[in-house]
Amino acid sequence: MSGEPRTDGLRPMTEVQVSQTREFVQSLEQESLPYWDMVEVGDVLSRELRITPELVILYADAVEDYNPWYEGWRMNTWHIPGESPFGPAIVPPMLVSHFVLSVQFDHTKPFAIGSIHTFHDSEILEPIRVGALVRIEAKAIDKFEKRGRRYVRHVVKVVDVETGRLCFHETRDILSR
Amino acid sequence: MTEPHEGSRQAYRITPDTPVGFKLIGVKKKAAIQLMGSRLWGRFNPNHWDPVYADQTGLKAPIQTGEMSSAYIAEMCVNYFGADFFRGARFACKYVASTYANEIITTHGVVTAKTPKDDGYRFAVEVWAENEDGEKKSVGTVEVDVGTSRPPLALEPIKEVAP
Repeated sequence: MSGEPRTDGLRPMTEVQVSQTREFVQSLEQESLPYWDMVEVGDVLSRELRITPELVILYADAVEDYNPWYEGWRMNTWHIPGESPFGPAIVPPMLVSHFVLSVQFDHTKPFAIGSIHTFHDSEILEPIRVGALVRIEAKAIDKFEKRGRRYVRHVVKVVDVETGRLCFHETRDILSR
Repeated sequence: MTEPHEGSRQAYRITPDTPVGFKLIGVKKKAAIQLMGSRLWGRFNPNHWDPVYADQTGLKAPIQTGEMSSAYIAEMCVNYFGADFFRGARFACKYVASTYANEIITTHGVVTAKTPKDDGYRFAVEVWAENEDGEKKSVGTVEVDVGTSRPPLALEPIKEVAP
């Protein structure tokens, strides 16, 4: 970008849209602790997520991944069993990793804007069926400083609630402001 | 096992015969502000889509979430490893630089090792995502078993989504 940043600097907007956007951004501003201060080593947070066909489509469309294995929803037909090498439609391999954010940041507290996801070491153990109910559990295992920056490390487990099988395991770091 | 749309995908598949040094053809994407700020991805944090807010926090432009780069790299890996990428694979990745709105990102991969495992191999692939200037944004490694004998996995469809 050059010059003064503008709300409509990267996409066309009318003054109504600009005004609505500024209102929305203002509504996100809330007092929150830095992530570093919100987390203690040993903290465990856990939530269940139903990975609906529509959720998969929203995820995949935004990264322009049109692999048919992920389609449990299709325009005109709507819900379909889908088809993959494992039978029914499956979830993109890194989808659950994206939703860890909504577990490791306590969703009952104001979101600590300014934190950055910097690293993940993920094990994709088994395919997850589209429509599955999974439990995502994140445990804080370390807080450390490196080159003057503060990081929080979690280990994450994702289990298919119906089968009890561990599908995904991850270690990930968040850089706190 | 069925492999839909295998025509083009199979042509790029890594097999036990694939040599070390093999280069994967990646995927190319534009960091489009509308996608970066979609509700499922970055809408909760205006650093991902609002130029004004990004400027206030010291960024030269809105930045894409790192997970979008990981999804791009994973798409490349599914293209080359197919179903094998969903069983016992490992994907480690560091986000080493910010991806800014409107940058064109291309993923890359090079097979760096293949270690015998059962009657197949565990492949190691160096992966990265970079912009048009060759600036690396995400770097990592992927490990996947290819050609190893393991029982087939057949999943039951979820009842709630069956027609």
